[in-house]
Amino acid sequence: MVAPQTFQTIRGGALDVTAPVTGALREVTATTEGVFTGAGNYWDAARQNAQLKQQNKAMLRRMVEARSIFLENQQLKATLQLREHERKTIAVGRIVGSSFNSPRRFAILSAGSSDGIAIGMPVRSPDGLVGRIIDVGALASRVLLVSDRANTIPSRLLRNGIPVIAQGRGDGTVDVRPLEVGRNPFKPGDIIISSGTGGLYPPAVPVARVVKLQGDDAIALPLADPAAISFAIVEPPFEPVAMAAQPAAADAP
Amino acid sequence: MVRSALNPPRRIGQGPSPLAVYVPAVTVVIASFLAALPIVSTIGWYPDFGYLMFIGWRLLRADPWPAWWAAPLGFVNDLFTGYPIGFSIALWSATMLVLDLIDRRTMWRDYWIEWVVAAVLIAIDEWLQWRIAETVAGGLPFTAMVPPLVISICVFPAFAWLIWRIDAWRLGR
Repeated sequence: MVAPQTFQTIRGGALDVTAPVTGALREVTATTEGVFTGAGNYWDAARQNAQLKQQNKAMLRRMVEARSIFLENQQLKATLQLREHERKTIAVGRIVGSSFNSPRRFAILSAGSSDGIAIGMPVRSPDGLVGRIIDVGALASRVLLVSDRANTIPSRLLRNGIPVIAQGRGDGTVDVRPLEVGRNPFKPGDIIISSGTGGLYPPAVPVARVVKLQGDDAIALPLADPAAISFAIVEPPFEPVAMAAQPAAADAP
Repeated sequence: MVRSALNPPRRIGQGPSPLAVYVPAVTVVIASFLAALPIVSTIGWYPDFGYLMFIGWRLLRADPWPAWWAAPLGFVNDLFTGYPIGFSIALWSATMLVLDLIDRRTMWRDYWIEWVVAAVLIAIDEWLQWRIAETVAGGLPFTAMVPPLVISICVFPAFAWLIWRIDAWRLGR
């Protein structure tokens, strides 16, 4: 904590040593888990099939709606001359491990500086936001998960766009607070998406789903479960200026 | 090494294994390396394997390794587990000193006393981790640390048994 950069290389080296072992073993656990959930799926295939058909119909309807909204959005943006950010992918890696005994929540990603990853870059999966990079080695890097206490994500409610702050609670859940004091705007089942404020995380990435209300706040579950996702995508910071301004000391584990 | 281990072996080919001096330290490093297991945990209730192994060895023997080895072993643990560098170095060195003091003061030891001592040390470990996380990441309720603490304390006897087996093997008994 005195000089966080001092040990950066050594920490990165240690990551490089452990990650290949972890990565190889991860395949085995993933397969085992897959066999068990697969067997479970066969068990009530008929009921699931009916459910899925129903969902599919509903989704199709929603897709048509979304399509029209998308077109309208494009037209509106064109009229506003809004600068559209191009989403680049820096690297794709697998989540191979995590911190075991610690109030901090870290995960290990099987991609490092040789893939172009630098400290501070946001990590996401197809399901939602995973976190951001805090340690980087040549072959592996350490991710500060959304559920870590030190990870604060400016976000908003998908339903009505109310700005909220999402902060990890260290136990796999996220605490969401509205910026305005007063009435609790959350409902169980609400989706929280990142707002892009602050410039680190890209906007409109799903972050969490509200499961419980608590006073003025709400408890939410991250949508990207690090234990279940297989691939994570590292993106450049939404606004590169934010990286330069970001104090490195604040994120040191 | 205990005196009886240095007696001539009872059977030919039986005796301390040639690397008996290094076995304890190596097992501690392996325990630290368990943090590289490919399990992605969203809660983090796993015990601090390296520390359990470390105090287990130290409680079984007064001299599993020279006292100063605590620092390099702690460094390895810090690197593998992702704790702030220096955390395990300081804690493990302090543990060696505290256990030396306890050894000097206690008249006798049994299973329960060792478990209580281990429980107190594990509690100190968890408390320090919580304190550091609180300093770096902001207010975290200590209640969140109770489940991992209880799990670690309950797992300790299993580690103690494992260490006893390894110790018997390395001394060739």
